[in-house]
Amino acid sequence: MPAEDRHAPAKASERLRRLLVVVPYLVQHPGTSVDRAAGLFGLSDQDLLADLDLLFVSGLPPYGPGDLIDVDVQDGRIWISMADYFARPLRLSRSEALSLYVRGTALASVPGLEEASALASALDKLAEGLGPDALGELPERVDAAGGGPAVEVLGELRRAAAEHERVRVAYYAASGAETTEREIDPEEVFFAIGNWYVAAWDHRSGAERLFRADRIRSLEPAGASFEPRGLEGAGRPLYSPGRDDAAVTLRLAPGARWVAEYYETTRQLELDDGRLEVDLPAGRLEWVERLLLRLGMDAEVVTPEGLKDRVRGLADVTRKRYG
Amino acid sequence: MHPLERLVNLVALLLEAKAPLTFEQIREKLAEGYEHQDPSSAKRMFERDKDVLRDIGVPIEVVSTDAWDVEQGYTIDKDRYYLPEIAFTPEEISALFVAARSGGDASAEDAVRKLLSGTESGILAGLGGSGLGGDVETNLSQAAEAVAGQRRVRFGYRTSKGASSERSVDAFGLAIRGGHWYLVGHDQDRGQIRSFRLSRIAGEIVSTGEGSAPPEGFRAAAHVQAGPWGPGEPRTSATVAFGPDVAWWAANGVAGAQIGSTRPDGWVEVRVPWQPGESLAAWVLSFGPDAEAIEPSELRAEVLARLEALGAR
Repeated sequence: MPAEDRHAPAKASERLRRLLVVVPYLVQHPGTSVDRAAGLFGLSDQDLLADLDLLFVSGLPPYGPGDLIDVDVQDGRIWISMADYFARPLRLSRSEALSLYVRGTALASVPGLEEASALASALDKLAEGLGPDALGELPERVDAAGGGPAVEVLGELRRAAAEHERVRVAYYAASGAETTEREIDPEEVFFAIGNWYVAAWDHRSGAERLFRADRIRSLEPAGASFEPRGLEGAGRPLYSPGRDDAAVTLRLAPGARWVAEYYETTRQLELDDGRLEVDLPAGRLEWVERLLLRLGMDAEVVTPEGLKDRVRGLADVTRKRYG
Repeated sequence: MHPLERLVNLVALLLEAKAPLTFEQIREKLAEGYEHQDPSSAKRMFERDKDVLRDIGVPIEVVSTDAWDVEQGYTIDKDRYYLPEIAFTPEEISALFVAARSGGDASAEDAVRKLLSGTESGILAGLGGSGLGGDVETNLSQAAEAVAGQRRVRFGYRTSKGASSERSVDAFGLAIRGGHWYLVGHDQDRGQIRSFRLSRIAGEIVSTGEGSAPPEGFRAAAHVQAGPWGPGEPRTSATVAFGPDVAWWAANGVAGAQIGSTRPDGWVEVRVPWQPGESLAAWVLSFGPDAEAIEPSELRAEVLARLEALGAR
């Protein structure tokens, strides 16, 4: 056996898996552009063309010219024929069907979603079309318990992103615990982990920022359009560490452990006394002070120096409200 | 011959064959595919290919080709291979795409891609990006499988307070709240319906057998904690005043909150659901000096006591 064959199967299986999905689409949509097909199926143009190159020497016995799959790529468009047996895709695997159904249910529950009714009918068709074997008891037993805060500006925000329109927003920045005005170029609006986000160029800081859409209090057109910069967008982590980050180390009693699940941590250590020691990266300390006010005696500050005093100071200022 | 070409030819051959084919027939028909090998290594190669096909979901079956069970043949059941035709509208398929991407979950995206071929072209323009990486609940598919198949499962679970134990649960349902998934089921050791946040399940969710059916009228969402103040629906409410900058945000973050009157100093009074004995004080304090608990007096007293404890530290 040639050496390459020992390593090839894993890769070949992945390529086969995607071919059995891409080819039916191309058979049914003659003349699809390479760009579009690659975009739809999450492939690079080169990978797609390399797969099609192999497809075109494949077919049925005796593998004469009339037996092979006909792949024609011209002017960046694709035509596939002589592949009737690949005209329909492979069934959804059980885990694919279940994953899609639960993700759809989660999104359908989000308040203010324009696609809500389309999504609901799509899920019904999916459950009916795939049959009872595919989804089992799941459709009756998966629920969304409250979709989180409504986003009043969602529709306008998505339109602005689609039309590349600059907008002026009033945004509640949790890091500094204040509402500020700024102009942003919204490139991508997406839903993740229970919230809507917008990836945008922030003219106030001159950098790419990820904003939570429910924290946008108001939005109006800024009267300009923008060229998309190809921001990292949804692919980036929710929190990106910066150079000026303070190293915050806290010890969390059981009642404050949720902090380690809710916020990004760079280190977690179980202590012998049942507490959890965590490092939280923080660009600004205002939100950490307020977090510590909330946690009260369930959290202890290890570093930085001075944070404990700032929390005590914040407690004093807050206390004055109560006379 | 490239392995991919061999695999494509094998699928095509079996999909088009009128009757099951023996390995010898396959070897002969696939020509170059397996022919340069001695018979036993060719057979091993074919077995590996067969595993690859099964892994990606091709329903390749082994059947007897004669009445005496002497020879075995291979076939692909077309009814199990081909996706049934489901006529989605462009809006429906776009919505499914958005949903699949919201989880950063590759198998949900793969599912939508399979559904694409039956829809009209000219859709989905401008759908870019993918979900946020890093927070995919990898055990969601195991939990969904358990619920779909009504299984009894076992897993390690750590409560929010950090206590770990092994649980045996009849999987009744799945619910999502605040972006987090919960498995709801009958906890065998505790004899009660409990909810388990998937991100707190350590390791695999293992099926141990058939589970029981949920009670009549079961709804998974009803068993997941309601908010920062605890389980169930609150019966009474509290009033908290917020600074002009944060009032809208504070009210937006709490289901059932009602914005009340604006005071002469610009502060806004917000009524929030609350139940005696539940701790709203921590939430009020998270707004620092921009919030003040107004009533009931016990809430006000708790906020004060917490502030004094912090000040004295």
